[in-house]
Amino acid sequence: MKEVSRRKFMKYSLGSMAALAVGSGLDWIKNEAIAAPRVNTLNFHITDAIKDMGTHNSINTAQCYFWVYKEDRLPAESPGPTIFATEGDVIRINITNDLDEPHAFFIPGMFNSGPIAPGQTVRKFFTAKNAGPHLYFDNLNQPVNRAMGLHGAIIVHPKAPAPGHKFTPYGKPTPAVQQLFDDFGSTAWWPGLAWEQGDPATNTPPFRRHIWLFHQASPTLFAAVGNFTPGLDFPSGQFVQRFLHDDFSPTNNENIQGEVGSDIPRYFTISGQSGHFSHNTPYINPTFRVGEPAVVHILNAGLMTISMHVHANHFFVTYFNGVVQENPIWVDVFNVYPMAIIDYTLPYMRPPDVPNVRGIGRADAGLPAGVSGGTTWPPNEEIRTFMPGPAPAGVTPFQIVGNLTDGAGNSLGVQLSPLCYPAHDHSEPTQTSQGGNYNMGLIAGMNFIGDRNTPGAMNFPNQPLIHGPGPGSPFGVDGLIFPTAVQPPWFQEG
Amino acid sequence: MSFTSPAFHIDRISVVGEEAEFVKMFDPRPVGAGPALPERIDVTTLPIQLGANPRANPVPEVMQALGLGIPGRPHTRDMDLLNGLALPTWDGAKILNFMTIRDKDFGLGGTYPGPIIRIPRGVIVHADLSGKGPPPHTIHWHGLEPTPINDGVGHCSMEIGSYTYQFQPNFIGSYFYHCHRNTVQHFEFGLFSLLLIEPPDAYFASIGAINPDGTVTLNSIPVGACLDGRFRTAANLLTLPASIQAKFPGFIAGDPVFGVAGPNDVGVGHPHAFTVPYDVEVLWVPDDRDSRWSDLASDAFATFPVHGLTPGADDDFQANPAIQNFFAFNDYRADYWFITGLPVPTPPGGTGTIPPGIVIPPGGNSGRSGSQVSVNARVGQTIFLRCLDAAYNNIRVTLPVDAVITAWDGRALGVPPFNRYNHAYVAPANTPMTFSVARRFDALIKAETTMNTFAKVEFMDTRGNAVTATALIPFQISP
Repeated sequence: MKEVSRRKFMKYSLGSMAALAVGSGLDWIKNEAIAAPRVNTLNFHITDAIKDMGTHNSINTAQCYFWVYKEDRLPAESPGPTIFATEGDVIRINITNDLDEPHAFFIPGMFNSGPIAPGQTVRKFFTAKNAGPHLYFDNLNQPVNRAMGLHGAIIVHPKAPAPGHKFTPYGKPTPAVQQLFDDFGSTAWWPGLAWEQGDPATNTPPFRRHIWLFHQASPTLFAAVGNFTPGLDFPSGQFVQRFLHDDFSPTNNENIQGEVGSDIPRYFTISGQSGHFSHNTPYINPTFRVGEPAVVHILNAGLMTISMHVHANHFFVTYFNGVVQENPIWVDVFNVYPMAIIDYTLPYMRPPDVPNVRGIGRADAGLPAGVSGGTTWPPNEEIRTFMPGPAPAGVTPFQIVGNLTDGAGNSLGVQLSPLCYPAHDHSEPTQTSQGGNYNMGLIAGMNFIGDRNTPGAMNFPNQPLIHGPGPGSPFGVDGLIFPTAVQPPWFQEG
Repeated sequence: MSFTSPAFHIDRISVVGEEAEFVKMFDPRPVGAGPALPERIDVTTLPIQLGANPRANPVPEVMQALGLGIPGRPHTRDMDLLNGLALPTWDGAKILNFMTIRDKDFGLGGTYPGPIIRIPRGVIVHADLSGKGPPPHTIHWHGLEPTPINDGVGHCSMEIGSYTYQFQPNFIGSYFYHCHRNTVQHFEFGLFSLLLIEPPDAYFASIGAINPDGTVTLNSIPVGACLDGRFRTAANLLTLPASIQAKFPGFIAGDPVFGVAGPNDVGVGHPHAFTVPYDVEVLWVPDDRDSRWSDLASDAFATFPVHGLTPGADDDFQANPAIQNFFAFNDYRADYWFITGLPVPTPPGGTGTIPPGIVIPPGGNSGRSGSQVSVNARVGQTIFLRCLDAAYNNIRVTLPVDAVITAWDGRALGVPPFNRYNHAYVAPANTPMTFSVARRFDALIKAETTMNTFAKVEFMDTRGNAVTATALIPFQISP
């Protein structure tokens, strides 16, 4: 079942999927879209951590050492929390360096802490500007400090749309991008909601955004950096050479933390997670209905080129490295170079190649099909199916294939609802963990929990109650972090 | 603070309550035959008639009429995977292991790449796929967007066994298909080929008569061409300067607001709406291989984990190693390169040239004749180039002539109603275009002067962007 209960909500609120909203808080932040706790001041410590990676368990060690930007009110994690701000907000930031060498906090075009000596605390402020996605990172000893885990995303929302137009994620959209966002929800080919439009009746937030922050981790090399002479910078040229080109080793599954295997990356993450942990969470994986367009902000803090492919919908490339696109192409995969920042704008149309009346890629009705007398859309026979095991008692599945159980005899069947699609790097060596274990690597997805435009089929079974990057830490609650002290309207007990 | 005394420990997220989804990510577990197709449309009873809706896929019957084979089920492609294939490298130094797809009704055994599948827009496609040798597999129709079970991704739905995939391509353009099981290995080892969506009247146009037994008799229109006898593809040239439009006569526009729909979004417009004719089709599939993987991990099960009795706690992520305990699918180091199955004769770091005059045979090309790899056209002809990056490298393509980029990834630029957002554009001669794995571009090129030169494809490592090899493709324009 894909329902997200309160327990799961608490779990997914932790760490890398945490978010903080700062500043004045215009309606877009007060609204449930980015229900991050609002803070007046960001308090970061630059510190370190050992992290259990996706394939870590009681019989298999899969750990990696990281340097992290730890916000005082959130658990340690790499990447640091996503910061949401509105253009013009003044953000106060205090940063303490707990590590042994100088570090920094840098946002290109917006803020530069300068070197912070070991043990030193700097207290600064800056103004959020250049509406759109940005990367914050440590720009000292490039690229070592960034690659060791000192990075995160900051999303700046525009203050207002252009007069007579709808919101885009940008301050100065091009005519083409403005037209795209004006057309969502108001044209025959894209019926449904505008991007800026939510629907409380369906728990649909406005301004639907997700963050896919890519990173690649080498446990052996990161350990070498962690063990390097205190007070000295690890040589950056040596770091890059070993990270990208260390000698081939056929066995990269060793239980690490020594000079075993190759120093090239063995873990490939999205917002700090991989495999199941990035694919099956609505905090990373967009989870909406047909007719609920969404924006995915893609940032690559690593050193490898990612070729990120989305199933189910072609997306418009609306933003590329600081430039709102004049000619946003409509594609299913796009190159994400190291340090690239790219927006994939998903129309959330019905997957167009489901058989339909005219067969020309519009919002047409499905065709009569199947043994149940239904139509090809919504695919009711398919969403009644459990794979690979049987349905729970009391549920009649359409089809049972095999029977997979855990040690206690519990079924491991999964219902094919909501409609689940992957989004993954097509440069496939990143689809691995520890040199193999396909599908435990860099993978997100695109899920459909219903269709706004099909009468009687607004919701598919098992839809989660959570739609976004998340409300931040559920603990450490005080008036500063949760100024409203009110659960977001879409939050319900599971 | 250091590696030996870190300030914090970050736990892995628990999977309690989600054991099934967790296990399904890496162990989707097909058992025996595949499931019945939900929302099944009985294509055997659908007409192969252009005006009908829904209508069946006419390509298998047209291929049968060409004498290429007999479809096992009407209007259905029938393929299996994987079929092993061992091919020597260009330098004779190694034998590379390939995994291939076999077109059971129309093929001559497994090929690398697999059979090129062409489908006219709007038909109901059925493709029977069965696993052979070590299962499981899937087929993902990259760029087509059907329901999840027909999208062919194991952890999202199921793996085969055997299964009939069903979809209806809605956009003309260039796609590909590949196995999505252990994709890092199966795609690399050759379980893929091009998937090309043609104008709605292609193939139908070549049918002169439908016989009582369901077979067809062909007329004089070349297989793959449209009702006007021309090969066509989707494009909108109207946003280009008049001087460029004039180079490509025969372009047909359609409804300025609704595109390929009829006026006011009623019905379907002219089958040639927003298409342009061309004379010569060129198919480039740059690919690369890492011979270490071929040597050390030829087992299709390599590095498959197995779930434990307590999922999340005791899953075996060290299971199923290939020989030599191979766990290096994170480390790709290409040392052999190909263009559409043709070896590029070069050592790493060098430059190799593929032969001139290479034409793809119709048996592996859905009955279509004359598709080229190395370019060989005459002055005055229109060349249509499709290019898929099937390597695990970025590629940098440099053409010796101006090209109009008409589409990326099966979405023709600027075709209404989506002309409100993007448009076709000119890529000037000798200007490199760099793009990453799985991307496809379509380009129109006018052969204006005689030429005897080369196009260049450089393979660039995703780890560091160095050029790992360069392929030269003959580009010849004769009077």
